[in-house]
Amino acid sequence: MKFTLKNQFGALALIFLLFSCNESGSERPLGAYDTGILIMNEGAFGANDGEVFHFDPVTGTTKVNVFEAENNRPFAGLLEDMVLEEDRLYLVANTGKVEIVNPGDFKSRGAVIGDLNQPRSLATSRGKLFISDYGPYDASFKTPDSYVAVVSGLDGGTVKKKIKVSNKPEDLFTSGKYVFVAGSEGGKIEIIDADTEVVSKTLEVPGKPVQFFEQRGDLWVYSYDSEKIYFQSFHRDNLTKKEFRELPLSKATGRITLGEDDRIYILTSTGWPDYNDGIAVVSIFDTTLIPSLKTGSGFYGIGFDKERQEIYVSNSKGFQGNGEVTIYNKSGVEVKKMEVGRGPSGFVFR
Amino acid sequence: MTVLFWVVSVFGYMPMQDTVSLEQVEVYAPPLDRFAQGQKLVNFDSKVLEAYAARSLGDLLQEQSPVFVRQYGAGMLASPSFRGTSAGHTAIFWNGLPVNSPSLGQSDLSILPVEAIDQAQLHFGSSGALFGNEAIGGSVHLGSKTEFAKGWQGKLSQTFGSFGLFNSALSGGFSSKKISTKSRFYRQFAQNDFSYRDISKPGTPETKAQNAAVEQLGFVQDFAWNVSSKSQFKAAFWWNKADRQIQPVMGSSTTDQQSDENVRAVLDYFRFGTTSVWNLKTGFVRDNQFFNESQNQTRQFFLASDWDFAKGKSWQFKAGVRSTFIKGDLSTYAATDQRFEFYQSARWQTAENLTVSLNLRQFAYLDNFIPFLPGIGGDWKFWEGEKQELLLKASLGKGFKAPTLNDRFWNPGGNPDLLPEESVNGEIGLNWLKKGAFSWDQSLTYYRMKVDNWIIWLPRGSIWSPENIRKVQNQGIEYQGNTKWESGKLNWEMGLSYTFSQALDLTSEPANPRQLPYTPQHQANGNLSAGIGGVAVNLSSFYVGQRAIGTGNARILDSYQIWNAGLRFSDLKWVKTRFPISFHVLNLLDRDYQVLYLRAMPGRSYQLNLTIHL
Repeated sequence: MKFTLKNQFGALALIFLLFSCNESGSERPLGAYDTGILIMNEGAFGANDGEVFHFDPVTGTTKVNVFEAENNRPFAGLLEDMVLEEDRLYLVANTGKVEIVNPGDFKSRGAVIGDLNQPRSLATSRGKLFISDYGPYDASFKTPDSYVAVVSGLDGGTVKKKIKVSNKPEDLFTSGKYVFVAGSEGGKIEIIDADTEVVSKTLEVPGKPVQFFEQRGDLWVYSYDSEKIYFQSFHRDNLTKKEFRELPLSKATGRITLGEDDRIYILTSTGWPDYNDGIAVVSIFDTTLIPSLKTGSGFYGIGFDKERQEIYVSNSKGFQGNGEVTIYNKSGVEVKKMEVGRGPSGFVFR
Repeated sequence: MTVLFWVVSVFGYMPMQDTVSLEQVEVYAPPLDRFAQGQKLVNFDSKVLEAYAARSLGDLLQEQSPVFVRQYGAGMLASPSFRGTSAGHTAIFWNGLPVNSPSLGQSDLSILPVEAIDQAQLHFGSSGALFGNEAIGGSVHLGSKTEFAKGWQGKLSQTFGSFGLFNSALSGGFSSKKISTKSRFYRQFAQNDFSYRDISKPGTPETKAQNAAVEQLGFVQDFAWNVSSKSQFKAAFWWNKADRQIQPVMGSSTTDQQSDENVRAVLDYFRFGTTSVWNLKTGFVRDNQFFNESQNQTRQFFLASDWDFAKGKSWQFKAGVRSTFIKGDLSTYAATDQRFEFYQSARWQTAENLTVSLNLRQFAYLDNFIPFLPGIGGDWKFWEGEKQELLLKASLGKGFKAPTLNDRFWNPGGNPDLLPEESVNGEIGLNWLKKGAFSWDQSLTYYRMKVDNWIIWLPRGSIWSPENIRKVQNQGIEYQGNTKWESGKLNWEMGLSYTFSQALDLTSEPANPRQLPYTPQHQANGNLSAGIGGVAVNLSSFYVGQRAIGTGNARILDSYQIWNAGLRFSDLKWVKTRFPISFHVLNLLDRDYQVLYLRAMPGRSYQLNLTIHL
C-alpha cells in the first residue's frame, strides 16, 4: 500500500500555487501576524501535518505551528494555499477543508468541512466563497468531476453548490462579479458569474494555466508546458483575451512569484530522473530571460519580499522532516538559511 | 564459491544412515536457538498466544515485547520496528517460509491473526547468516504445532466485543501415531466505529470513526505423516483474506478500501538418521492486494534443503541451500527475480559450559554472489549454583536487505541500481535464571548496530524514487524479567520489560544526529497475574515514549501508557466438555492516544470470549 500511496502523491504533487491575491486594508490595530512573513508548510502526504510558520525578518525569529499555537488544535491537513481576502486568511487544505482565521491573531473564525474533495484555492466575491476543487479521483487517478464549490458567507459553512469546471482547476481570481478559474489540465480559463453561479464564459490558453496575477493594472494568467511559458492578459469588461506572450523557457513549474521591476521568478525542474531544479527570471514587459539564476535540488516554493527586495526559496528536503528556506538578495547572494516546517511551499508577505 | 563447494561436497556424500530411530511422537521442527548462540530470543508461550487469539500479531508484539509497532489505527496497517529499524528490516517466517511481500519487503502485522498460529518467537538483531534477507533489526518466527497420537480434538471459540467486534473460530483435528491433521477456520470482524475526539475540526468534537471496518477470513490446514520411523512429511496451508476500509487520518475523509488475499503453503520432508536430520522444503506464497481498484500480485516459490548433523558429542553442523523464484504482476510493472542462498552453521559445545556457533551465508541475486553474511556468537554459563545460573551471551553478525521489487521496478521511479541495505550488529547479554518457589528469568542486553545504504523514497519533482541514502547508528539496552511465586493458594506471575533504543539518523544532519522518526527511545511493558484454581486475573500495561514524526526538529508526539485487564475462568466444565470463559478490558483508563500522528485509536473496549473444547 505504501507505494501505491506514494504514486498517488505524485499525482497530487503536480502543481501547486504559491501566492495569493492581497487585498487587505484594515482599520484594526496590528496583530502579531499582521507583519512579517507567513510560511506555508504543506505537510507530508498521509501525515496531514501542514502548518503555518511566522518569520519576523526584523528580529530574525520564527514562530512555529502558528495555527495550533493560537487555536489549541493542529491544522490537520495538507496546506495547499493561503488566501488573504476580506480581512480573513483562508487556509486551503487539499485533504478536504478550508480553515478561516483572523490574519492578525490567527484565531479561528470558521471552516468549510465536508463536501469538499481536493480543494486547491479560493476566492471571495459577492460575500461568497468560491473554492476550486479537483473533485474525487476515479479508478485511473483522473479527476473528471472537478468543480468550484460555492459557500454563502465569508466565514465558511456548508457547500451550497458545485459548479462543474474543466479538469484540475487551480488558481481563482475575482474581478468584480466575475471569478476567473485556471483550468490547468484542459488549458481553459472559465469565468464564473458570482451572482448566477454559472460558468458564463470559457477562454482557451496554451499550456497549463495555474496562476493569475496583476501587473501594470492588467489581469494575467501564467501557463506553461515542457518547452515554453505563456502569459495571457484579459479585458475585464468584455471578458476577452487582450495580450499574449510566449517565452522559450523549458522545464518550468507552476511556482512563480512577482519580483522587483516587473520581474517574474519561476521555479524550473528537470524532474525525474536527473532532478535539477533552478530559478529562472523573466519579464512580460522587457527582454529579461535568465534561465537559471540559481540551481539546486528540492526547490519547492518561491516568494519575493518586496519591502526588503529578497527572494525566498523553500526546499522540501524530500518531505522526510522539516524543510528549509533560503533567503537571497536580488542579486542572488544568500542572506539567510532557516529550518521551517515539512514541505514548505509558499509565502505570504504581510 | 568455497561455500558452494562445501555445500555440494556435503550433499555429495550425504549418508542416509540405516540406523533405526525411534517413532516420531512429535512433528519435527528445528529449534530456532540451535545455532543462535549469543543472540536474543523471545518465545511466547501457548498461554499468551491463547489470550491474544482473537487479536493480531501487532497487538501481541506491542503489548508483550520490546518491539515498537507502528499502528495506523485499529486493525489498520501495523508494522514492526525492532531496535529502531523499519518494518522492512524484519524478516517474517511462517513454518520456516519467508512470507514478507517481495514487492513491499514487509508484512502487515494486522493481517497476521494470532488465531492462525500455534507458535511465535522473536529473534533480535541482524542475523542474515541464520535467516537471510531482511533480518536486520530482527525476525519473527510463526508456526503451527501439530502432535501425533492425540486422537480427536475440536474447539469452537467466539469473541464478542466493543465496536462491533465479532470473532469466530472453529478448529478440529485428528492424530494417530502415523498421521496428524488439523483444520481451522476463522472469521474476525470489527465495525471499528469507536468514538474519538476529532482534533482536526473546530471545537474538537467527539466523533465516531468512519470507514474503518475490517473483516478477515481464514483457513489453516496442517498435516503430518510419519512415513516410517526414519521419515516424516509435514505440510501446512494458510489462506487469509482481509477486507478493510482504510481509516482516514484525522482531517481527511478518504474512503479507501484495501483487500489482501494471501495464500501460503509449505511442504517439508524430514529424513532422520541417528545423529542427523535431512530436510527438503518446498513452499509457495501468493499475495494479492487490491488498493481501491489497483491490483498488485506477487508469487514466490521456494525450494530448500539442508542437512543437520552431529559429529561427536560437542559438534553440530548444518548446511543448506535455498532458492527463491519471484514473480510480480504489479499495477505499474511486471518483474521476476530469483535468489539463491547457501548457508552453513557450526556449533561447538566445550566442556566448560561454553557454546560457540559460527554461521555463514552466501546470498546470490541479480547474478552476483553478494553479499556474504557471517555471524558468530557464544553462550557461556559462567556460574551455576544449586538453584541459580548466570549466562553470558555475546554475538556479532551481519544482516542485509535486497531492494524490493517496488524499489527496483516501480514505474515510474523504480531504481534498478540500488544496493542492498546492510547492517552489522553486536550484542552482549546477561541471563540470570533462578529456580525454586520464587523463580525468575531475567535478561539484560546491550546492542549496537549500524545500518547503511538504508533505502528511502524521495520526491524527484512529481516522481518519487528510492535511493540508498540513509545511514543509521543504533544502540540500546533491553531488560526483560519474568518472575513466578506462590503465596498461599495464589500463583503469581509478573513480567517486566524496558527498552532504551537510540537510532540516530547520521544522514539528515551528520553534525547533530537525531533519533529516527517514529522510533521511541523508551518503551516498557509489564504484566501481573494471579491465579487460584481455574481463575486468573491479569493486569498489564505498556508504555511508549515520545517520538518525532519526521527528521530534524520535527513535531514530537506525546508518550502514552495503556492499561489492559483480564479475568479468565479456565476450568469451567459441563460433563466432559471444558469451556473456558475470559473477559478483557482494553485501554482500561480510556486513554486518548495516537501511535502515529492524527491516527485515531480506540478508547476503552471490552471483549468477552467463550471457548468450547470438544
